[in-house]
Amino acid sequence: MPRLAIAEAFVDDVRSAITGDDLFAALARCCGEMKVRYFALTHHVDFSNPMATGLRLHNYPASWQNWFDENQLGRSDPIHRASQRSNVGFPWSAVPRLIRMTPADKSVLGQARLVGIGDGFTVPAHVPGEMNGSCSFAVDAGETFPLELYNVAQLVGGFSFDAARRITGTADGWASPNQTLTARQLDCVLWAARGKTDYEISVILNISHETVIQHLKHARERYGVRKRAMLAVRALYDGLISFADILRY
Amino acid sequence: MAHLLSTDLQGGSDAALRAMFAARKRVFIDLLKWDLPCLEGQFEIDAFDNENAHYLIVADQGGGHLGSARLLPTLCPHILGNIFPHLSSKPVPRGPNILEITRFCLDRGLRAAERRTVRNQLITGIVDYALAEDVERYTGVAEIGWLQQILSFGWDCRPLGMPIVETSGALGALEIRISPETPAKLLAAGIWSPIPTLAFPERRAAGANG
Repeated sequence: MPRLAIAEAFVDDVRSAITGDDLFAALARCCGEMKVRYFALTHHVDFSNPMATGLRLHNYPASWQNWFDENQLGRSDPIHRASQRSNVGFPWSAVPRLIRMTPADKSVLGQARLVGIGDGFTVPAHVPGEMNGSCSFAVDAGETFPLELYNVAQLVGGFSFDAARRITGTADGWASPNQTLTARQLDCVLWAARGKTDYEISVILNISHETVIQHLKHARERYGVRKRAMLAVRALYDGLISFADILRY
Repeated sequence: MAHLLSTDLQGGSDAALRAMFAARKRVFIDLLKWDLPCLEGQFEIDAFDNENAHYLIVADQGGGHLGSARLLPTLCPHILGNIFPHLSSKPVPRGPNILEITRFCLDRGLRAAERRTVRNQLITGIVDYALAEDVERYTGVAEIGWLQQILSFGWDCRPLGMPIVETSGALGALEIRISPETPAKLLAAGIWSPIPTLAFPERRAAGANG
């Protein structure tokens, strides 16, 4: 089957996907056409936490998921961490270039090989206001992930997250309603994230010290958080401010 | 309040067009380092900015540029058809009801929250324009990171070919099918954000203010 046809068939397949099972079946069919054994579409959260929300669909051996959850790897898995450093798909051989590999990371990859998961390719999914996630494809241990599948994996990975988004809905338990902060509150949050004190912010924005305190208090209340650090994180997560806003000013 | 200006080069919106070409220079030449011609050191204008091009511009109350996009008829020379035809595995889609979206530009001065708002208003304007002007499909060439974002808007996208690594990064070609259901899909994805529209020349159908 030509490679574009594989991607097209997948796109048509997931267009009608309503449940996670539908998406699982579409990914499984697509893997069959690519002649790739494994897929894993997941949000990067710790699924061993019973409160965890998010989608996780994979056909890895069951023993792998158990070991993965026992070690709470949802947030620290080296492949997941590497995907935070890239906005395009990458082969697993590139992971040491994307992140500093710890001995624990090497043992994770070793454990994966032990259960039969070999080389792979991961497509990151980063959209402001959503949990980070990724879609990976992998071949059997001892095999090399074929270079000619990188592009089709990239397309399928991207479209699979589009379907995942539709299936889970945009509300993911963390996202806040739209229009959460006023423009002035946002100004204060931005300067707070840049490390300025309330007094410094009042000078920068040319408003009273008390007004800054009130803006930040109301902003914290809207998000239901108590600390200004958490406030900055929430605004960052929602995409109301970006890393570039904070780091490059 | 922001508004959307729908115009071509002959529409008489000279100030808005100048502001857009200047904003495009700051984004595509200064920021993204695309290898593009620059007029008088301040305007990014290329051969496709001609009488066939249509522009959607999100402007603030004072007429300042917030975001813009260029729509090119696919029966005329356009980016996918003339520069990147190899990104489409099949014949490049061309037709009277197919337009190409190019130079999707969000002003460099915008902060993240504003960027998202303007992005949504511009996407909404693009869909609204299609519904008013009987555009059935849009095509477009996008860098992979942006392509991934385009997919997240909830509309009906399909790949036209395999992504290819070019000097400017990995590029892919997409088509987006527009139907009366598209606004509801964008609404579900949290994108749909209509703003008042000024159209030059005036639109033939209702919806000019939609």
